[in-house]
Amino acid sequence: MNDKSTWEFGTRQVVYGAIGAALYGVLSWVTNIFPLPAAGNITFRPAVAVLIFFGVAYGPWVGLLAGFIGNTLGDALSGWGFYWHWSLGSGIMGLVAGLVMTQISDFRAKDQIIKAAIYGLVGIIAGMLFASLMEKVVGGIDIKTALIGYFVPATIGNVVVVGILLPVLMIAFAAVASRRGR
Amino acid sequence: MLVAWKYRPRNTFIQRLDPRTRLIFLFCVIFGVSIPEIWDYRIVLPLFLVSLTLYLMARIAWKDVKRVWTYILILVVFIVGLNALLSARGGPSSVTNIVSPVIFTVPLKIPFTQLGWDIPVTVSKIWFSFNQMFRMLTMTLLAIPIPYTIDPNIYGTAFRQMGASDKVSFTMDLAFRFLPTFARDFSITMDAQRARGYELESMEGGIFSRIRRLAPLIIPVVMQSTVTGEEVIDAMDLRAFGTNRRTWLKDLKYAPRDYLILGLGIFIFVGCCVLRWGFGVGGYFVPDFFTNLFL
Repeated sequence: MNDKSTWEFGTRQVVYGAIGAALYGVLSWVTNIFPLPAAGNITFRPAVAVLIFFGVAYGPWVGLLAGFIGNTLGDALSGWGFYWHWSLGSGIMGLVAGLVMTQISDFRAKDQIIKAAIYGLVGIIAGMLFASLMEKVVGGIDIKTALIGYFVPATIGNVVVVGILLPVLMIAFAAVASRRGR
Repeated sequence: MLVAWKYRPRNTFIQRLDPRTRLIFLFCVIFGVSIPEIWDYRIVLPLFLVSLTLYLMARIAWKDVKRVWTYILILVVFIVGLNALLSARGGPSSVTNIVSPVIFTVPLKIPFTQLGWDIPVTVSKIWFSFNQMFRMLTMTLLAIPIPYTIDPNIYGTAFRQMGASDKVSFTMDLAFRFLPTFARDFSITMDAQRARGYELESMEGGIFSRIRRLAPLIIPVVMQSTVTGEEVIDAMDLRAFGTNRRTWLKDLKYAPRDYLILGLGIFIFVGCCVLRWGFGVGGYFVPDFFTNLFL
């Protein structure tokens, strides 16, 4: 049951993709409505830490589904509408983070947490870069606005959240997983 | 703090529609407005009225949606509206490129210094912020009734019959079903932690410690969900999920009323594209009557 091949897409991926999406949706809805105060237009979305965690723990398909569906649900719940490029950007964040899955065996080990965080960081940059550049195409803004107005603040906010919460999530998960004897 | 929505069977035109029809219609309107970038009030306003009519036809009791609407109106008016007014964010560049009379300036300065900006509020920005609010409400009016009026049991079937694979449909189905559950879990966890003296709203410490303080709320819910996941996987494996093509309990069929609404949706989408790209109508401009109000 614990087949750790990266691109497998079976029952496990379906279930955790859905759970990740629902968690991401609910959490981003809460923070869309009650934003954490921040400087400028940086937004801190704790939901992103959960998304990266699901990617790291369950692989790229789960990250992609959780990010894409979750962001769509969160936006729809808060009445934003459907911004497919931001949803796909979130999906990319989860997918890239998920590529590290097979390399993580001990969620408590410091070096593996750092490795997961690095994949998360790359994922955030890739996902947010994609969404910001698409904003240029969809929203008709210029490249400077896309990078300074969207990419930089979104990336900084997400990196901070993941940096703080991902290690906590991974350590907590190690405890849960060992109790279940996995 | 969190609201779990409730679906109720109602005998309305909207609820007799096929869920696929409603999702496709929603996407037609969203794509119709956003892909060709419609900012013309002569198109936005009629679409708003169509959405409003459909929303009212759903006959959702006001007490059910009161909280949702409160949040959304705060969001739309204060966050989106004010943002649009000050920075014209989220709009086409023509909002700030158009020569437009300045009504007043908002000084955004660090107190007692000259550091900061004087932000000019132009007629164009005021008009844009109205447009932006109505555009958002047009889409919101269609999206809000969905959880209240589509039976949670048919999301999976709806996506399956729109051509998604069994696995993807089931993911959507499960995600929709878990959403209110997790919303409830968060609010229970919040109450439980508060009873132990946890203060989420406390303003102490910087942003980093505030984010760290979210851990007692997030960790229990996420960890519980991973355990729930294992149980759901066991249950699905016992039913041989993924071994073969699945049959679904409900079968959806389009009725004439669905073709009517689908036709309207396609008309809106194609109409917006043709007007914008074919005739050059639908872009952003400030109508004279609005400018004249301020002169």
